[in-house]
Amino acid sequence: MTEKTFPELRRKLTSGWWTSNRHYVQYMVREWTSLFVALFSLVYIYGLSLLATGSRSAFLNLLKSPAMIAFSFIALIFTLYHAVTWFYLLGQVVPVKIGKTTSKPWQALVANLVLLIIVSYLVIWLLVLR
Amino acid sequence: MAAGVEMREEAPRVARLHAILWGIFSLGGMLAAFLLPVMIYLTGIAYPLGLWPFNGSRDPSFLVMGTLLGVLFVFVTVAGSLFHGIFRFQSALTEVGLLRLKKGLEAAGYLIIFAGIILLAYYLLVLSPSLPTL
Repeated sequence: MTEKTFPELRRKLTSGWWTSNRHYVQYMVREWTSLFVALFSLVYIYGLSLLATGSRSAFLNLLKSPAMIAFSFIALIFTLYHAVTWFYLLGQVVPVKIGKTTSKPWQALVANLVLLIIVSYLVIWLLVLR
Repeated sequence: MAAGVEMREEAPRVARLHAILWGIFSLGGMLAAFLLPVMIYLTGIAYPLGLWPFNGSRDPSFLVMGTLLGVLFVFVTVAGSLFHGIFRFQSALTEVGLLRLKKGLEAAGYLIIFAGIILLAYYLLVLSPSLPTL
């Protein structure tokens, strides 16, 4: 605390403000995972452009390149992190009232994770296995 | 007086635009959360490494060629993720010291989003020309 009786309401933020607190760090990591969400989309659109211009092998070689596989692993981890934190957030923002009890964020997380597994399997079944 | 009327008309319009953009943003968040992981797994990991469900038999280009369901899945997932990802990333940049560039970042962000979505739709239509009649 400062010694002033009148507190300064505006604290000057440096660009590293988020390192001062674990919650801020978590928040910032979550914000930066969005970069991978966006990058994967852009790389995929680039891949489609190869495919659309008639170069199927170029598209497949792009997917098979070690750099792309490594990037996909990182992107998958970050999108799952995004999904988990997003589900938890949903539970905080939109709690569901059932009778007298209100749902907790972790319940929303679990319910949505189960839904994520079902949706993922459904996508694979509908698009690939069927 | 006239300025007051103008402001009163302006405010809800801007607010409505913001509400729509934030609505798409959170819709994109849902899509990125539910559909993007399986999409990355299928195209970026399962296919090149020959894992289930591909097992070396097919390649992921069939996703965007021919079936309406596959094309819709790719469009919705990629467009939603792009919107959500870029929107969030440009706002994260303003939080680490680039606040004075806010306007420019927003403009660049929306440009990337809309150019990306238009290109995505264009390539999907080129790959499945019969799609509009399906």
